[in-house]
Amino acid sequence: MIHIQRLSVSYKTERGQVPALKNINLSIPKGTATAIVGESGSGKSTLLHSIMRLLPPEAELSGKIMFEDMDITSMDDAALRSFRWRKCSLVLQGAMSSFNPVLSIGKQIAETVAYHLHLSSKDSYKRAEELLEMVGLPTFFSKRFPHELSGGQKQRAAIAMALACSPPCILADEPTTALDVITQAEIVWLLKEITRKNNMTLCMVTHDLPLALSVCDRIAVMHRGEIVEIQKPSGILNNPTHPHTKKLVKSIRSIEERGNPK
Amino acid sequence: MRQNALEVSELWVSFEKGSKAFHALRGISFSLEKGQTLSLVGESGSGKTTATRASLGLITPTEGKVALLGVDINNCSKDKLIETRRRCGYISQNPYDSIPPTLTTLDAVAEPLVICKGLNKKAARERAKEMLSVCGIVDEVVLNGRVKFSLSGGQKQRVALARALVTDPEIIFADEPTSMQDASNRGDILDILQEYVKKGSSLVLTTHDLYLAAAATEHSIILFHGKIMEAGPSKEILKSPLHFYTKALLDALPGLSKKIKKPSLKQGEPEYRLSGCPFLTRCPRGIDKCSKTCPPIKEVSPGHFVACWLL
Repeated sequence: MIHIQRLSVSYKTERGQVPALKNINLSIPKGTATAIVGESGSGKSTLLHSIMRLLPPEAELSGKIMFEDMDITSMDDAALRSFRWRKCSLVLQGAMSSFNPVLSIGKQIAETVAYHLHLSSKDSYKRAEELLEMVGLPTFFSKRFPHELSGGQKQRAAIAMALACSPPCILADEPTTALDVITQAEIVWLLKEITRKNNMTLCMVTHDLPLALSVCDRIAVMHRGEIVEIQKPSGILNNPTHPHTKKLVKSIRSIEERGNPK
Repeated sequence: MRQNALEVSELWVSFEKGSKAFHALRGISFSLEKGQTLSLVGESGSGKTTATRASLGLITPTEGKVALLGVDINNCSKDKLIETRRRCGYISQNPYDSIPPTLTTLDAVAEPLVICKGLNKKAARERAKEMLSVCGIVDEVVLNGRVKFSLSGGQKQRVALARALVTDPEIIFADEPTSMQDASNRGDILDILQEYVKKGSSLVLTTHDLYLAAAATEHSIILFHGKIMEAGPSKEILKSPLHFYTKALLDALPGLSKKIKKPSLKQGEPEYRLSGCPFLTRCPRGIDKCSKTCPPIKEVSPGHFVACWLL
């Protein structure tokens, strides 16, 4: 579904050119759930934003990102507009700020639906309510404003919005940070079930390795702008090859075993 | 009998929320012997930070008593309160506003030594440097740079840790001390805290992570909306949780070889009413009685307590 070849991104700053991604090669096959795991500053969000072409102007990009047979890096604005939401949508980190505070949730989702699927305003509002129901929110939530929703509910609404045009691929950038563990479990179950049911491709960025192991069937570990390892969860657990992955697994295991000795 | 480092009895903390009162803590009691370690576990809004702050006298309780290092901190002179607090170490949840931003990193850690231990500046700085290196901060540029400009969130949290521990406190309050650390560093923070416990400090840790609680402390208290749901030995709770809430908390927590289980709790807003069990709106098994009377906390096996009518 997505093929990334020799992707490098650097940011222009006062201190000169700072590399964020170094020669990334990554394929995300159709229908899989891939996690990109890394610590802060490892470049995982930059990678996701490169796929959506959401990098700030001071970023310099080289390499190729193919989505099916389209090259994302060379798309013009019109092509981008039909790529985003319809082909691939993004659930942002902390949906807290991804909604317009002065529009009701229903209106915002309906707006996306109306624009991309060319539906009447009445039909698109109905579709918005259906989408909310799909993510486990009651339909009357469409009249609510973002501040009237809890963090978990907002994240559900953000997922509803991502599903609006039934894209074949969903990207999620730390979709559960700042949420409580139980809410986190509810959100990842929702993402997992919806993507599986509709045979969608999921790519999730997270710093939480156990979470990634729980949700995804492939794990890409990032460290200092490079993908240092891609394996199935069982491989990451039992045969980590890169020293960084080894250290990460060992550190988490040591905390788990201290509390629960074998 | 050993003296208690902390004794909290029937503590209520209520905040005004519009015309209604919001009860952050609803009559919780616990005690901690000298040298013992305890975790307060719960989600946001459960009252764990409020309990920590009330224990230090940073919040005045609506009702109830706190004896910190044997001092009744809500009924003592201001001097006594200050003197008692100086024997404590506090790592606040938000390291951004717990360190004076204009000081250099080194001075920020030396400051408590000058104030609490009466050291001169030179000696304090030397000791501060040692402490910071224990906490993994050795870079000269960072040490001599101002806190506001030169530190990342994770580094600030480690400076806050150094600042709290440098005075060898008798009791340490650590509010989510690993929240901003990368996973590969979390173990180091626990090791440092453990060193101080070995030297005799008591520890009150706040966390939402049952694994961390079991790794770091002997006892755990599980809080939900200001009430204690379950309390007991941390390892026992991790191995065989009893309360429906503790079980849900553990099911939701992913581990290296433990996948997140399908959530079983009801969707529901917690109710702020006073009668009945606060967990009822989310409980998968609630009965009539639960809405009328709040279950008392009872001992189900030695040292293991639970508050539920069904257990």
